[in-house]
Amino acid sequence: MTSAPELGLFGQPQLLEGENAADYHELVARLYAAVKPLDIIDEMFITDVASLEWEVLRWRRLKLNLIRALELEALPAFLNERFDYDLRSAHFVDSLAETLQENLPEDQAKSARTLAYTYIRDNADAVDTVNEVFAENGLDMDQFIQDVRTQKIEELAQQYVRRKPDAVAQIQKLLADAGRSTDGLLVDRLVKRSKYLEHIERIDRLTAIAESRRNASLREIDRRQAVLGQTLRRSLQEVEDAEFKVIEATPTKGQSAA
Amino acid sequence: MKSERKIKSNRENARASTGPKTAQGRARAARNALRHALSLPVSFDPALCGEVEALAREIAGSDANPEIQELAHCIAEAQIDLRRVRCVRHQFLTRTLAEPYYDSRANTRAKAALLGRLLGKAPPDVSLDALVKFVTSTPEGPQKFALILTQESKQLLAMDRYERRALSRRKFAIRAFDAATKASGQRARVAPAQV
Repeated sequence: MTSAPELGLFGQPQLLEGENAADYHELVARLYAAVKPLDIIDEMFITDVASLEWEVLRWRRLKLNLIRALELEALPAFLNERFDYDLRSAHFVDSLAETLQENLPEDQAKSARTLAYTYIRDNADAVDTVNEVFAENGLDMDQFIQDVRTQKIEELAQQYVRRKPDAVAQIQKLLADAGRSTDGLLVDRLVKRSKYLEHIERIDRLTAIAESRRNASLREIDRRQAVLGQTLRRSLQEVEDAEFKVIEATPTKGQSAA
Repeated sequence: MKSERKIKSNRENARASTGPKTAQGRARAARNALRHALSLPVSFDPALCGEVEALAREIAGSDANPEIQELAHCIAEAQIDLRRVRCVRHQFLTRTLAEPYYDSRANTRAKAALLGRLLGKAPPDVSLDALVKFVTSTPEGPQKFALILTQESKQLLAMDRYERRALSRRKFAIRAFDAATKASGQRARVAPAQV
């Protein structure tokens, strides 16, 4: 009974969109291998433990993602005040080149990147050309810089949440310079978005329910395994007693009892 | 004893004052008992009855005495009930997560109020882009999932109560079953190959 489980009578695994069925089956298989169920009731408990453990992991993941989403909301507001956007950075050149490429006449579009490079080096001709292109297409350079800066801030916040080392180092430095921490930013955000606290409390409650039910199933498995141990010991004792009685009740003449 | 006049008057009053009156209300009330049907025992569903019997046979084994068969039946009934509750909750979460315009009740009210004002005599000065963005914006990802858990907590808690009861019924049925099998020595739990 320790082979791969048949889940028919216990229902299909209850996975939500984005959850991996293979991971769930691996969890079930590992539990089967560890517990070695001896009957269908043990299998019921193992399926319960797997399903509840999956639920615990789901709620923990959701809480983590919610906190990351909060970070994503809190960081741009902080960076907007503190982030010094470099108008000579590769990010600005790329953005400017892309905009120029879209707005230059077709025959000049290929020179957009070169024009962007010369623009950031304050080449007078390049500055004039870029200003002309912007004016002809109804674009405003100040607005463009603001949009590109906002975009960069959002990218940086995304990278920080994904724990990219460069972004983490950059933001940690800005936070340290400002005497702040991500925890502080999160707290500020939580105060503004009190609904999030309600969400987190609800997730914690669901996690606690699933953990307590999983532990109850584990206790039942323990109890049954203990009963099994006692039954086995009694059975072995009965076998030994019966053997002893047989030897004592029917002694053979001329043979030793051993 | 009530007089005929009183009975007649009670009946007329009852007809005049109970239940929803609009077609929409009547349709909604007609579906009350069908919302999840978890309050109905498993034995009311013939398909589930068959599954209970099959599982009970599997639990009790072929040579079980009537007492053990009865206890196995209790375990099977609780197990199938548990599966049914979990299935209903899973379907509810899957369906709600898939709703593209799911939003908080406060946001939905705010959107409806804005649209109402736009159709009124003095519509607010809002750009079309901003309007479309506001009306079509809905929570996504973890925010949406968390909102569902909070906003639908009443329904989820009701399902949770059914799950808790089924778990409790199953636990005590299994303990009784284990005690009975131990007392009767009728059934060896250990498969021969593993002894």
